[in-house]
Amino acid sequence: MIATAPPDTGSLDSRWTPALEDLLACGRSAGADLVEIFLERTDHLGVLAEQDTITSVTPAFGMGAGIRVFRGHRDGFVSTNDLSPSGLRRALEQALGMLGLEASLHSSSGFEGLPNLRDFATSKLDWLQRCPQLTEATARLLEGTDQLQKHGKHLQARRGSYARDWQEVLVAASDGTFGRDIRLHQSVGLNVLAADGEHRAGVGRRYGTSDQPDDLRRWNATASAAEVCTSAGTMLYADYVEAGQMPAVLANRFGGVIFHEACGHLLETTQVERGTTPFAEQVGELIAHEAVTAIDEGLTGGAFGSLSMDDEGMEAQRTVLIENGVLKRFISDRAGELRTGHARTGSGRRQSHTFAAASRMRNTYIAAGPHTPDQLIASVDRGLYCKSMGGGSVGPTGQFNFAVEEAYLIENGELTKPVKGATLIGEAKEVMPRISMCANDLELAAGFCGSVSGSIFVTVGQPHIKVDSITVGGR
Amino acid sequence: MSSTATTSTETNAGLNAEALRHSLEQIAAANGISRWDLGAACSTDLSVQVDRGEAKQMKGAQRSSITVRVWNDQGLVGVTSTSDLSAAGLERALSGAKEASAFGNADDIPAFSPLATAPLAQLDQPIHAPQGILRLLDTLKGAEQDLLSRHEAISTVPYNGLAERSSERIYLNSDGACRQQKLSTASLYLYARAEESGRKPRSAGAVRLAYGAGDLDIAGCINEAAERTISHLNYAPISTGRYICVFSPEAFLDLIGAFSNLFNARSVLDGVSLSNRESIGESLAVPFLDLHDNGLHPANIGASAFDGEGTPTKRLALLEGGVLRNFLHSEATARAFGVAPTGHAGLGAKVSVGPDWFEIGPTPGSGGGQGGLDRFNAGEPIVWIDSLSALHAGVKASQGSFSLPFDGWLIQNGEPRSIEAATVAGDIRQVLKAIVGFEGEAKVTPDGLCPMVWVEGLSVTGEA
Repeated sequence: MIATAPPDTGSLDSRWTPALEDLLACGRSAGADLVEIFLERTDHLGVLAEQDTITSVTPAFGMGAGIRVFRGHRDGFVSTNDLSPSGLRRALEQALGMLGLEASLHSSSGFEGLPNLRDFATSKLDWLQRCPQLTEATARLLEGTDQLQKHGKHLQARRGSYARDWQEVLVAASDGTFGRDIRLHQSVGLNVLAADGEHRAGVGRRYGTSDQPDDLRRWNATASAAEVCTSAGTMLYADYVEAGQMPAVLANRFGGVIFHEACGHLLETTQVERGTTPFAEQVGELIAHEAVTAIDEGLTGGAFGSLSMDDEGMEAQRTVLIENGVLKRFISDRAGELRTGHARTGSGRRQSHTFAAASRMRNTYIAAGPHTPDQLIASVDRGLYCKSMGGGSVGPTGQFNFAVEEAYLIENGELTKPVKGATLIGEAKEVMPRISMCANDLELAAGFCGSVSGSIFVTVGQPHIKVDSITVGGR
Repeated sequence: MSSTATTSTETNAGLNAEALRHSLEQIAAANGISRWDLGAACSTDLSVQVDRGEAKQMKGAQRSSITVRVWNDQGLVGVTSTSDLSAAGLERALSGAKEASAFGNADDIPAFSPLATAPLAQLDQPIHAPQGILRLLDTLKGAEQDLLSRHEAISTVPYNGLAERSSERIYLNSDGACRQQKLSTASLYLYARAEESGRKPRSAGAVRLAYGAGDLDIAGCINEAAERTISHLNYAPISTGRYICVFSPEAFLDLIGAFSNLFNARSVLDGVSLSNRESIGESLAVPFLDLHDNGLHPANIGASAFDGEGTPTKRLALLEGGVLRNFLHSEATARAFGVAPTGHAGLGAKVSVGPDWFEIGPTPGSGGGQGGLDRFNAGEPIVWIDSLSALHAGVKASQGSFSLPFDGWLIQNGEPRSIEAATVAGDIRQVLKAIVGFEGEAKVTPDGLCPMVWVEGLSVTGEA
């Protein structure tokens, strides 16, 4: 039972220590191997501009707790919005009950209390106040849609959207984990629908950063609008791509979605646990072309997937997944380490308190290679240049797919006409050895990844890469 | 936390509409707000996953949330959402909404639905007490074991889950409207993975919904997951080309749902629909296709009796004889079109609109296109599309085009063989005009009611 009430405070800080220690001791005394408590407060702002009008302003705020109890390889997880003493106690007891455990007043817990708080938030306390307020945010968005109007032709719809997600988290576990952090993610997107007779083209781009309160102020609306409108103007009259097997050159930045979908997910220990990755027993073996080195890290300043500590209280690190084609490491969280033996990599992540953390990607990219992008294109007689990628997914057998938003034919080593409607599909084990050339222009792009622990902020990235052969779905 | 919205903080048993109204009225009056409305929801969930006979994860959740809208002195609307239903949380939400209202869109101001107090349909939705997590666990372990025993190639069921939920939602407004609905639902999904020596792994699954875990068709779910998975073991690549495609009910409903902006008045007004204000009365599809949205269908497990604005849910004709008859509406879009709200709204400063549950089939008296269709007795190769993937990426809703990976079979001379990996591409407007006919009786799925649908001339890309 909890003897100490949580503080009636707007902040998640060390004043929570007695209440958390009571909960952790209670769980341990009931027989749990480990108890973990994740507390969060959130503050979200969404703004939508259409044409030259602000059409939606959507503030939202919340709080909650996720309590996870481990015993052996099993775990029980309960989330609640109720941070009262009784609410937290009820959540803990429910989680214990899932494992056949019962809270006890009399047993010894063996829990010796929490250490001093590792507080990653001390320099971040004013971030929310430093973000643009509504007046400024709405003005910047309208500047964006105005720039779309100036740069675009045949625009039937213009949209700008801004999202600001602020999150304060406190993680405490009976193994002595006790950390606090504040995260800030901002993104701004521009979308257009161009239409001319029967020709239609919808094009969008989203730009995002973490931990940079001034991000929206620094956003270059003119350059973003020009990029979107140039793409829409090109794709409006593009023919549909001819389907078939062909070599492809994928552009840098969001082109990295190919590694994210084709391989990255299969290197998460959640996939090892499920038996759904073909790479489970291949650490130390060649699984990709020797040209490929791939990294997942949480350290790049301002990148969407960066974090000071993960959602299990572990500091982020740089994890080399593949080095010169050889599989080196898996992306692992606490449960992954417990169940698969792969050491944690600071990759336990979750959308919110309503999800148990799972091994998830952070900033994931293929490292730069020795070539120039032009050399990659020049090496292809007839193929596809994928300049801008859409979303994708990977299935339980390793089959991946992703959409290409803007593409061009490569003919005799040169880019020729634009084409649309392409979807690339394949299997990880087959496509990774076919990434035969990497250029020297690595860049990252912000994205969102939805999986077992919800939708999280991630970065994908790569230099220009060449895939020797891939299935291009089209008409 | 001082709870004003839940009936009991000890049990988290549900929402108290009158307490919530009382709190809102007091806080609104103190903040000079005279016009407001609110949507609130709470739920209690239990779910289990298993892995080869062991519990993999057991989860419980208590969730609550509210969205509150206020109209300021200029009549502009602001909105705020929160999961904090305490008095302090409600006060912060109202003040946040009032602040946001300064940025309300004067050209598109939502109002209370004129139907927010109209009678609601009586839904037959029995409330079941939860079975509890340990019983769910035993049931799922048994289901997994049964599925694993169906074929030696089925080695795991990597995606599985059995869940039950008790939920409640409320709509209130300052004019006295009060909507309240309680539900219990349960769901089961089993997604098996099978692999034969020297061959690629294959997978397929099945889903079942019911009002309680005891009512779930567990045997049917196991059978369907097993049959689908086994049927994909014998696979081969398909040659790229144009084929007659037979969509399963699930696949065709997914495709129509992805292009529901055809019927969405909000999308029409925003200029991002394939339809426009003058499209009502136009022929969008073959003259023997009917499409209704009917959230009230008895097979729609968990149907909502009212939408986010309190408007009653109802059956609405979208296509009759291939002709567009109605759009889906919120209060604001209905006012713009001079019609009544249809019960398809969310709740916001800019109110979203979306479909509930589709009924698709032949127009009564039309003959339903080509008769006697049988994919196993066709004179040419047939691509039978079982399920579509990656709709979030491969559908360009405002352009009408799609290019989607799918699982399915190539049927030649009556013999189906699973397709190794392929995509199907086309334009939804052409698809609706290229429907050949229907096969079999309409099937109930979680997303609607639909028979198999034959479409000619679609582009399929394979690896042969």
